[in-house]
Amino acid sequence: MSSQHSSSPSHGATSHTGFMKALKCRECGREYPLTATHVCEFDFGPLEVAYDYDRIKRTLSREVICQRPQNMWRYRELLPVAGEPTVGRQVGYTPLVKADRLARRLGIRELYVKNDAVNYPTLSFKDRVVSVALSRSVELGFKTVACASTGNLANSVAANAASAGLECFVFIPHDLEQGKVINSLVYGANVIGIKGHYDEVNRLCAEIAGKYGWAFVNVNMRPYYAEGSKSMGFEIQEQLGWTIPEHTVVCMASGSLLTKIHKSYQEFSKLGLVEPTKWKIHGAQATGCSPITTAQKAGLDFFKPVKPNTIAKSLAIGTPADGFYALKVMKETGGYGDDVTDDEIREGIQLLAECEGIFAETAGGVTVGVAKKLIASGKIPKDSSAVLCITGNGLKTIEAMAGHVGETHDIRPNLREFEALLNQDKTQLLQA
Amino acid sequence: MAKTKAAAPRKSTAAAKPVRKAARTVARKVTEPKTARRLWLSYPPEHIKEPVIWQMSQRFPITFDIRQASVTDKIGILCLELEGASKDVEAAITWLRKVGVRVEPVELSALES
Repeated sequence: MSSQHSSSPSHGATSHTGFMKALKCRECGREYPLTATHVCEFDFGPLEVAYDYDRIKRTLSREVICQRPQNMWRYRELLPVAGEPTVGRQVGYTPLVKADRLARRLGIRELYVKNDAVNYPTLSFKDRVVSVALSRSVELGFKTVACASTGNLANSVAANAASAGLECFVFIPHDLEQGKVINSLVYGANVIGIKGHYDEVNRLCAEIAGKYGWAFVNVNMRPYYAEGSKSMGFEIQEQLGWTIPEHTVVCMASGSLLTKIHKSYQEFSKLGLVEPTKWKIHGAQATGCSPITTAQKAGLDFFKPVKPNTIAKSLAIGTPADGFYALKVMKETGGYGDDVTDDEIREGIQLLAECEGIFAETAGGVTVGVAKKLIASGKIPKDSSAVLCITGNGLKTIEAMAGHVGETHDIRPNLREFEALLNQDKTQLLQA
Repeated sequence: MAKTKAAAPRKSTAAAKPVRKAARTVARKVTEPKTARRLWLSYPPEHIKEPVIWQMSQRFPITFDIRQASVTDKIGILCLELEGASKDVEAAITWLRKVGVRVEPVELSALES
């Protein structure tokens, strides 16, 4: 492990800023230079990247996009990098699967699955946000990158940092499952296990981000990092033949993905790349960690922090940083929020796997389970079209399904035993 | 000037003592680690009518600077900066939590999935 603490980054905005104009406070609108900073000095509101849409409109067209390689950078004018991306150049453009069998099971006219379970390189949508954060970190002169994570983010930062030759520090709870630890260690990252509860890990990371000259992807690089999520929304629109889906169901941890998919629909509309139509964005959470959907169902503009207790670990954020803004998007678009129990999450995973051959992680089970509820209740009308955003691969959360998907039928290697098995009562087989 | 200053304490031991004490006090204050913490505070309904921040300022020698506030009959949300000696700021945060106020850094979910 390197003992170097500072990577001596420039920390300053580069003279060339591409199509970015500034960082802008989402609360008061004050503008800041395009540096590694994330909160407004006046009201501590979160900062967001502002773009020069007039220039982008003159540059970006459907034709230009279609001529580019099939990855998330085909929309690069709308992503926060000044020049060519340097990290994660193959990320994105995952399949949008027309899920007819699942549509029939859920009772909806048309259904699509945006499948980031096969995103490159670490099989989750986090590769999108991380490749943007690290590309921008390189532009700002950072040599060391870091994150605090319980799984997918750590894997993605470690893998993408390795491919770019960046020093990487990953902070994890010390009692994290071995599989997840190995998925970060294998890339040569410095993995630090923190012996403490959530609040303490959270505080330490905020302090480290403030003190050391590192690019902390979801702290001081958060304005850039979060923008990477928009690429999922851009791809959905392009893959639907340059249209905006009527309904989009998105799982929520911090709530950032939901707000950025909304922003992607707004941006394509504003630029004339799609016909501006009405859309609804629905939020999905696990009942064991549902601060945002609980607030949405109660008609509140704010959420109350909770202590997570769910198998959907990748959504287990009790104090979601973008919870307020996710509530606002659902309200503005007429979307709904709902949540599902651990059993309903497993059922959702199995339903998607059996109908479409897609094995999603627990967050995917949340999305499918909530979509099922919203369709059944008529909040998503049965004669409409919807897109479900699947954010990670089931191989990452095998333990959640262990003991819930049946067992193998073991026989000796002869035909007689196989045929005896085939002739067994079908009910017995299913029960086995 | 330098000579006069250097000679002054030697004129009277009694007079010199307070000067040294004061110097030590200043030195302690200067070397004591200072910190500034940016925080979100959430009040449960039962604490909304209590002057919790005033109580905190009376108990601990720290300064507070409120940047945002939203108070309804269901929840009070406050965004503020606390500044002072590290141990005093930490003690104030511990006290806030003890009285039932939820305290989070403005970064909120630094720990992600």
